[in-house]
Amino acid sequence: MNANEINKTLVNIDAETDPTLKHLMLASLVTAVFQDQNIELVVVGGSAIEFYTEGAYVSGDVDLCVASTPTPLTGRIRQELMGRLNATGGPRSWQVAGLFVDVLGGFENLATTPIRRLKGPSGEVQLSPVEELIVERVLISTYPRDYPPARDCAKKLLAVALQGEVETDWNEVRRLACSSAYDNWNDVQQLTDEQAQSLEIRSPYDSDE
Amino acid sequence: MNKPNLSRSGVPTIPMNEPMEWEDWLRGRRARRETGLRVAPEVIRRPESSKDHRLRKLFNGERGLPFKKTEEL
Repeated sequence: MNANEINKTLVNIDAETDPTLKHLMLASLVTAVFQDQNIELVVVGGSAIEFYTEGAYVSGDVDLCVASTPTPLTGRIRQELMGRLNATGGPRSWQVAGLFVDVLGGFENLATTPIRRLKGPSGEVQLSPVEELIVERVLISTYPRDYPPARDCAKKLLAVALQGEVETDWNEVRRLACSSAYDNWNDVQQLTDEQAQSLEIRSPYDSDE
Repeated sequence: MNKPNLSRSGVPTIPMNEPMEWEDWLRGRRARRETGLRVAPEVIRRPESSKDHRLRKLFNGERGLPFKKTEEL
């Protein structure tokens, strides 16, 4: 993208008042600018969950991790790329167009399912696999102690997955939950079954399936 | 372009193996919000986090912009 295109896009993002759209437009722009240098970013955390669920969960920052980079992503490169967006701050967190953008470290992902892709206004946005987000949010909701905001978030993720609004590999959800990295299969199964009951649909983990 | 698969609610599914069109994602926003409303409260933004200071400074005491109402999606 050239500077003129970037500036026009930034004006549109700055004017956008819908937080979910604003996040997605900005994630798309940041991804495109890094992609120009063959650096692949993935949206993680609350923004990814918001794009999957429309759950009114996200706050005022977009978190991205580095999925791949041909050379080490130095502070100089980060500042140079974010500088193209008229960003202020750094070296990992910047203010841009009325939001914060955090470009964190390497993408930690244990899911074997694909990173999901949305065609955003400035280019594709990559999202952390929904399977791991489900298992991770269930873990945060119960461990080390109960945390209701994470539980509501896990419930909404499970609901859109059960409803078929997000294509989900339930075997992969189970595999991750049974792995030593999460070890929370009973909690995941129970919460999945409860949401299926609320939605009056069959749970993918029904024992007679 | 392939037609997207549809969810139980009749909107395009966010697919696993191919990129989703922007217009398809937009079409599903309201249905996804309504699905979530069947299992949890409408707004579930965390009440606090380690980033509170900077967020509340930028968003006039809040942690982010106000959400669109479901009927506006």
